[in-house]
Amino acid sequence: MSTQSHSSSPTDIPAPLLPLLQLLSSVFLTLQSTFKRIPGSPIIVRYIKSSYQDDPWRSLLEVLLIAFAVRTLLMGRTRGEGAGKNFIKLTEKEIDELVDEWKPQPLVEEPNDLDHLTLSTVPTIYGPNGARVKLSPAGKTVLNMTIPNWQGFVENEKMKQVAIETLRNYGVGTCGPSGFYGTIDVHMKLEEDIASFLGTEAAIIYAQAFAAVSSVIPAFAKRGDIIVADRGVNFAIHKGLQISRSTIRWYAHGDMKDLERVLQNVEREQKRKGGKLTKKFIVAEGVFENDGMMLELPKVLELKYKYKYRLILDESQSFGMVGAHGRGITEHYGVPASEVDMILGSMATGLATGGGFCAGSYHVCNHQRINSSASVFSASLPAMLATTASTAISILNSQPALQSTLQANILLFRQILSKLEPLPMTESGVPTIGSSSTAGSMPPPPVPNKDAIIHIPSHINSALIHIFLLNPPPTTEAEERLLQEVVDEVVSKSDVLITRARRLRGQEIFEPEPSLKVCISSSFSRKEIEKAAKGLREALVKVCGKKR
Amino acid sequence: MGRSARRSGVTSDRSPSSRPLFPSISLKGSPTTSSSVSEPPSARTSLINVLSRPRHHAHAHAATSSASGSSSADAGIFTTEDEFSDMSSTISSYASSILSSSREASSEDIAKVYRDYLETPFVKIKTSVKHSEFGHCNNPNWRWTSQWNPDEPIHALEEERPPYHVLIATYLSYLLLIVLGHVRDFFGKRFRQSHYSHLMEHDGYAALNSDFDSFYVRRLKKRLDDCFARPVTGVAGRTIQLLDRTGPDDNSSFELTGGYTRALNVSSYNYLGFASSTGGCADAVDAAIRRYGISGAGPRHDASTLDLHHQTEKLVARFLGVEAAMVVSMGFATNSTNIPALVSKGCLVISDEFNHASIRFGVRLSGASLRTFKHNDMHALEALLREVISQGQPRTHRPWKKILVIVEGLYSMEGSLLNLPMFMELKRRYKFYAYVDEAHSIGAIGPNGRGVCDYFGIDPREIDVLMGTFTKSFGAAGGYIAGSKELIDRLRLRSHAMAYAESMSPPVLTQILASMASIMGVAPPLAAPAGEELDTMSVASRPTAYGPASSSTLPSWFSLPTPLLNGTEGREKLRRLAFNSRYLSSGLRKLGFIVYGHRDSPIIPLLLYQPAKMHYFSQMMLKRFGADKTPIVVVIVAYPATPLITSRVRFCLSASHTKNDIDMLLRACDEVGDALDLKHGKQTMKVEEVIAAAEELVASNF
Ligand SMILES: Cc1ncc(COP(=O)(O)O)c(C=O)c1O
Repeated sequence: MSTQSHSSSPTDIPAPLLPLLQLLSSVFLTLQSTFKRIPGSPIIVRYIKSSYQDDPWRSLLEVLLIAFAVRTLLMGRTRGEGAGKNFIKLTEKEIDELVDEWKPQPLVEEPNDLDHLTLSTVPTIYGPNGARVKLSPAGKTVLNMTIPNWQGFVENEKMKQVAIETLRNYGVGTCGPSGFYGTIDVHMKLEEDIASFLGTEAAIIYAQAFAAVSSVIPAFAKRGDIIVADRGVNFAIHKGLQISRSTIRWYAHGDMKDLERVLQNVEREQKRKGGKLTKKFIVAEGVFENDGMMLELPKVLELKYKYKYRLILDESQSFGMVGAHGRGITEHYGVPASEVDMILGSMATGLATGGGFCAGSYHVCNHQRINSSASVFSASLPAMLATTASTAISILNSQPALQSTLQANILLFRQILSKLEPLPMTESGVPTIGSSSTAGSMPPPPVPNKDAIIHIPSHINSALIHIFLLNPPPTTEAEERLLQEVVDEVVSKSDVLITRARRLRGQEIFEPEPSLKVCISSSFSRKEIEKAAKGLREALVKVCGKKR
Repeated sequence: MGRSARRSGVTSDRSPSSRPLFPSISLKGSPTTSSSVSEPPSARTSLINVLSRPRHHAHAHAATSSASGSSSADAGIFTTEDEFSDMSSTISSYASSILSSSREASSEDIAKVYRDYLETPFVKIKTSVKHSEFGHCNNPNWRWTSQWNPDEPIHALEEERPPYHVLIATYLSYLLLIVLGHVRDFFGKRFRQSHYSHLMEHDGYAALNSDFDSFYVRRLKKRLDDCFARPVTGVAGRTIQLLDRTGPDDNSSFELTGGYTRALNVSSYNYLGFASSTGGCADAVDAAIRRYGISGAGPRHDASTLDLHHQTEKLVARFLGVEAAMVVSMGFATNSTNIPALVSKGCLVISDEFNHASIRFGVRLSGASLRTFKHNDMHALEALLREVISQGQPRTHRPWKKILVIVEGLYSMEGSLLNLPMFMELKRRYKFYAYVDEAHSIGAIGPNGRGVCDYFGIDPREIDVLMGTFTKSFGAAGGYIAGSKELIDRLRLRSHAMAYAESMSPPVLTQILASMASIMGVAPPLAAPAGEELDTMSVASRPTAYGPASSSTLPSWFSLPTPLLNGTEGREKLRRLAFNSRYLSSGLRKLGFIVYGHRDSPIIPLLLYQPAKMHYFSQMMLKRFGADKTPIVVVIVAYPATPLITSRVRFCLSASHTKNDIDMLLRACDEVGDALDLKHGKQTMKVEEVIAAAEELVASNF
């Protein structure tokens, strides 16, 4: 028995303590037999065997007490693969030789041509960022269509004032995580503001949207849980899924029939296997970062209720962009936000400050305050980014006109570009390529328009527009170069800055196809939009049209 | 020989005496109340004075020898007062009230002395910086240089153990808590189902949080909840303003009462006191907001790289003494989005067992294999390295592609310093790549505030990847990765944050620029900081001379006040932090507390063990029961951030604390320590003795 081997080495235990030790051992033995009947007892036994071999009575006690807690830990932690059975015994001399011989690969690989292209084409903005920027200290001003500045908050004067006031009361950094005196009143106010703006019970803010997304998912989804995710979700969600170690099922991007098929498959499998009820999640984006398509929320909600899933909805792009007040796609479709279990969002895009949030029920938010690593183990958001986000929300609330300007701008832009699309847009702006259109990765629709060279899957209300080539060159690299040519052409001829969608080639789960990314803002005038769209159209025709 | 070089910190040409600016407060019943120098120095004290303060010695000696009686000592304080303060200081009513009653201070006197203690300095000082954010402390003797002393052990592998009865009591407490928790769960689930609904299956949905996972939180942490996440307002500087809250005994909910409590803040990571709403850095940030707004807008690789980003990255690289650097908008994400860009399947990451959650997050994303070694134990690391290199990858035994060892410079829960000299030796022998997370050590450690490399005098370019955060010493937000140009270029291409995460916001960048520049000093205006004899020994023996920032790297619109530009203020901050850290750490040890960590660490964990004491400690520091009622906020940490039994309170000191603040903290710990039976080590000094011998304690090895 393990206990005997323990008490055989009572080296440093004072004699008077031995009876106590024996008592404890017997208590332990009885408890151990009880343990055997508890599910999970093998784990505890394994723990006993390996811990504190030279301090027996201490480990006896410890085992009893920690067992419960340790079990929790063992479930989710990387223990690293130990040497195991595969271990080969070597002499010290052999080890020394092996050490001398071992030559590690270089820490970083040489960059390739595409890498050089990527690095050399990152523009630098001189002076403030915003709708109109300078690309060199004394250069000309260009229209910036690359930043998520949906409502022009990047240059908002009111927000600057609020930021300065906040600076004079709170300084810049908070110097602590929210658990340790990093919860400032302005954080609580922002959380309330977000919750009441969206209409959820509560909200929790994070210091960065990317980290929020990739940390919220694993706070709920654990090993053994089931996640059904859209194939088109963004990189941050991929990372969250990866950390969660749940079982992931993908459904075709934007395809509700496929979603239902996957949900049915999971149900069938679970029925067959039986066993414990597990947590099940659907993960999708409001407006997809990778192509601007919009989720068919009503349908997803219907399926979620039917198959008893929880919905994690990333609104990083759509929050502040769609809906009559910019509340995101829940407002767009007129469904209460409280029907979505967790709404993730970004203050850095729609509100133009910084940080991310998760809105949902009290339980959902409070759980994260203790269990979401990016919230627990990171300093809280600088106060001025919180107060200005509150200001931005109140502007959104009080000025719905901003939204109509934005939508008008988007429509104008799309109409001009639609001349190059397979199905030109009708006058009223009714999209011929609807929200349920095909994904960027699917074969594009038939081509009635013989001038068509591009394909825009983005939703007609999305200020984030991705432009894909209809007949791309054979390699990704060639396509990226071609798109970069378009970007360069537009900036030099029309003074409009757009960008290739930047990807992490080689690190993505599903490599997105190369595309151009355009962001529309309500602070552009109609003239500017017209000029930009026409300029882009000409550049596309010039660069991509000549190839045929 | 290092002692003298480390000590002198005078920046003016006047040579002040060693007499402290503020007399210590005498408590009834403790005879050794006046500060060390108001009594004739003992042989030991004077020896140390000779060794450590050659320039002040003569003057100090003259002052002390003339002051034979206590009354003349008090008078002496009046006369020498002016010498310490740059700007015609006068003693406020507080100081004089202490002086007049220094022999027999009653508790009312003490209470009176401390009434507005946190807001008003003892001396009048012409500065816009609020005393509540950054304490004024002019005494040049309360300074120290944070630098490796080879005679002191870097890391004790065996921490001090408490007596067995403490351990048993701790285990029993947890046993009781766990049993009670299960009993409550058992009955609760049957009789109060509505309270457990989120833990149980309902309508075909599995419980969102498993009952088991949340047991610790519901049944153990909840009892302490009024000590966690206390809401605050204002700057987390030397003091902090708490929003008062009340709630039922079970901590199920809290309500703000609308009241405020200002408390001494020994909890925030504000090491250099740059968290501030006034002063040169805040003014620079103000200007930046007017100029740039507040948004970092989209990801860096889209058009959201500002000139300000490049300037900051250049300055960070210069600060660290490496080729290139890259900033990320969140410290956590700096680790979690860059480690996967460095290693992948087939690589091995070796990680210290106490590494931060963000590192574990990043390693998990990378797909690399992971092994851990015993905290800060370089022998364990070597044994592990020999094993993994000789065994190769599991099953296939193919050699590892590369091995990345990830360690922290200063551990945030332990206060332990990385044994860098040995680590570098291992690196040379075993050819692994080194990744050092300096989140807490950057700015806080080293004679020039450049982190552990600076502290140990090791060339930072020998470390492959330097990582750190701006949330701590610099009072900003975000983090950096620095190293060779190839490394940074590679990371720019592959880091998740560069392509997909928001870029750093301009006011935050400016705070980094301003605080960093003020630590470095800016060339060419006003060349080297005053005090030429500083660092003579260190510069000679050091491979890297950490120079000032060149004014051309800073934005042209930037205007910093002179004390920041010439680096004097930065230097003062480094030296005050070093003194405070060493003083508190040594003092607590002398009082018999079990304290972990290195004495130069500004993070000072004091061990509490029993879970109930955490709650009491936190509450008794906030609502003091002694004569002095100044509230102090502390951080208590327990499982899972620490091993189950070693619950602790963690002090984070700052350059913004004055010596008086530390004195007060020591007295408070002494009070509470006696009341809660926390002095499990051997008490060798009384608290007033510790306070009187502060300088001696700081200077001595032990
Ligand atoms: C070692 C270490 N790395 C990284 C971080 C994360 O930094 P931040 O709080 O800036 O997100 C911390 C913060 O607690 C830390 O201690």
